[in-house]
Amino acid sequence: MSVAAGGGESKIDKTKLTMYGLGGGILGIYLAHVLNMITGTGYFSFLAGLGAIAAIVMGADAVRRVCAYGIGTGVPSIGMMAMGMGLVAAWFGLAVAGIAGPIIGIAIAMGFGYFVGMLANKIIKMNIPVMEEVLMSLGGAGAVVIIALSVVVSGQIGYEDMLNDVVLTGFIAVVFIAGALAILQPFNANLGPDETQDRTLVHAVSTGGLAMFAAGIGSLITVGVGGAVLTMLIAAAIWLKAFLWYFKLVKRDSAGVVGTGLLAEGGL
Amino acid sequence: MDMVSMGLLAAMGALATIAGASEDLESDVGSQSNPNSQVQLAAQVGHTHRIYNKAISGEPPSNALYAALAAVTASVLMSDAYGMNAFFSIAVGSLVAAVFNGILSMTSYMGRNTSQARFNQYVYLDVLRSHTTTIMAHAYITAFCVVAISYIMTAPWLPIQHPFPLPVIAFTWGIALGAIGSSTGDVHYGAEREFQQYPFGAGLNAANSGDIVTKGEAGLRSSIDNAWFCAKFGGPVTGLAFGLIVFLDNWRTTIFDPATQGWYAIATGVLIVVLLNVYNRILEVRSKKRYGPYPEYAGDIKA
Amino acid sequence: MSTFDASTLIYIIQIVIGGLLVGIGVHFVPVGGAPAAMAQATGVGTGTVQLATGSGLTGLISAGLMMSVTDNILLIVLSGAVGAMIMMDVTMIVGNWVYIYGVGVPPVAAKVDYDPITKDPQPPYIGPGTVGHGVPTVSYVSGTIGGLMGGAGGSLIYYALMNINGVSGLSAFFAIGIFVVNAVIASYNIQGTIEGFHDPKFKRIPRAVQACFIATLIIGIFAVLIHGGA
Repeated sequence: MSVAAGGGESKIDKTKLTMYGLGGGILGIYLAHVLNMITGTGYFSFLAGLGAIAAIVMGADAVRRVCAYGIGTGVPSIGMMAMGMGLVAAWFGLAVAGIAGPIIGIAIAMGFGYFVGMLANKIIKMNIPVMEEVLMSLGGAGAVVIIALSVVVSGQIGYEDMLNDVVLTGFIAVVFIAGALAILQPFNANLGPDETQDRTLVHAVSTGGLAMFAAGIGSLITVGVGGAVLTMLIAAAIWLKAFLWYFKLVKRDSAGVVGTGLLAEGGL
Repeated sequence: MDMVSMGLLAAMGALATIAGASEDLESDVGSQSNPNSQVQLAAQVGHTHRIYNKAISGEPPSNALYAALAAVTASVLMSDAYGMNAFFSIAVGSLVAAVFNGILSMTSYMGRNTSQARFNQYVYLDVLRSHTTTIMAHAYITAFCVVAISYIMTAPWLPIQHPFPLPVIAFTWGIALGAIGSSTGDVHYGAEREFQQYPFGAGLNAANSGDIVTKGEAGLRSSIDNAWFCAKFGGPVTGLAFGLIVFLDNWRTTIFDPATQGWYAIATGVLIVVLLNVYNRILEVRSKKRYGPYPEYAGDIKA
Repeated sequence: MSTFDASTLIYIIQIVIGGLLVGIGVHFVPVGGAPAAMAQATGVGTGTVQLATGSGLTGLISAGLMMSVTDNILLIVLSGAVGAMIMMDVTMIVGNWVYIYGVGVPPVAAKVDYDPITKDPQPPYIGPGTVGHGVPTVSYVSGTIGGLMGGAGGSLIYYALMNINGVSGLSAFFAIGIFVVNAVIASYNIQGTIEGFHDPKFKRIPRAVQACFIATLIIGIFAVLIHGGA
């Protein structure tokens, strides 16, 4: 339950974010796959991680939009649902469509999202106008994040190899939950009446870096030490940069960042 | 049933008890989960505070992340490529999970307090420095115990052979542990510790929402004081809850071999459930008798 | 790609039944959301989805263990149901300990004047300014039923998927995914809080049944087409 959720207005347009998120995500996935295939190494897996970060920013913005409405069950539920749909859709795409798998999976995830949003509005009668659109973005973001982080772990898109590298090892657990938290944490951590879009999205970049790092740990035994260390180093650099930027925005927005001190006069 | 299985089962129960207790205290120091709504409200109704304010997407997902991450790191280190000893692998994995926990806690504290700028809620860096390490320490213990339980359930050289891979089972227990922690121990923090200035024996009157205790015995109340209080009751019972669940659930399949005596295992489970239902009824009757009706009640229905 | 035949159809039906069990089961789970964590509302002090998922996944662990040694569907599903019930019951008991011994309030239901099971009067025990607290008998029994249905539903989905792809990690995660979708849809239906089957909100169940049925059917059709490798 959140009291006075909402937040400030959006400076960055949602269409632009969705475009960058989906485009960046798909580009990252395919670039990682193709470059790894051509060079026969695992050094380019980090590109998929960058794609995941793009999608995480898009997902975090979608969470931000829907949580301005009282959805009754808090922030985490909607993200877990989106990841659940994204997971099934993503793996369906990978299993049946071969090289076109990621695109098919993402499209189906967005379809699931739109559909479940429609059910929520039409049958459950939640009457949240943005529900369809937000769940569509969230489902899509969830699928991109799952596929991209899985590619970070396995290094390419082939279904059999992904099954061995991601599922049989159990790394799917961290792909799922690190991706989910990366999408949920930004808005959840910045919730409050003075939330600002840029701060939330910068935070999304930093949680995206964390998710990429987590997937990088798994890739240590699947794509090899070289590629994994490269992924982890780039993830750590992104995280550090985003974290410092975030701290700057915290200083900009807050009532005061103080070393220590007594309580201020509260209330409006 | 052999002695080894029984011993391992006891170890799992003990590990689960510790995990439950540390999980609850971790969420109390950080003020995570539902009681946090009051901390969030406090500044809005004029009570600025120095309570830690973190929210990492609800307890089940966050604990699932710590457990899964620790398990993934551990299984990487344990694999043939690195061949590290299981004990040390789990320890290193839990360290990674604790670092993630610390990062997410810090950004939540900064973000949530910043988003209340209009209520003059400051971001106190000394709170951040002193509390984050405490939170991380508790998260470390939780992650270690959960992954150890999962390892006992999956290790190829031990009697229980669960089909799920180690990270998946750790993830699942993480979700369950988070759900338990937020359902049990947090109530002690939310209903009692946050509102200690009101008389014992009543829930939070809606009129007093947001009026949390912000001053301590000397100086201002810190969240570490809250963990000190909750460690006396809320934490241990949460541990007992998770310990009982892990123990009872696995006890059924340890004394009865699921392959040949599956129905006995299920019947035992049903018996446990029936006994728990009866016990709850006894608890309810005894508490109502002991406490009696509220004196403020003015309706017609007789107690 | 796996072929679409009669047995696939049966698996889809099993998944849909599983999804419906989860969706209906959530309505039985007594959760009071954030207010309950302050002993301000009846039920367990957490979110619906959190508690339902926690118990459902505990059931999944039991069902997974059972499925590794047998292929008797009844045994697997019941095993999951019992695991989930144990999780739910222990959580509610310990929750009540905290309410009774830690906070000092007796468990009481606020939506009814008399407990439908024990016929005990409720209003005199409701603390001033609250809408009940703790888990009274009717909510406890309701929660047990919720655990039963959630655990059985999750296990049934796992069973069906496991028969198709044979990879336990994949089936478990798809079961979790389908479980969560249904749990969230159902909890939107009750707006996050419910006291149990005596709560007026329980009457909204038909809407959730429709929504969960359609959602699970669509996702299930895709899920059964995912194979477990050559």
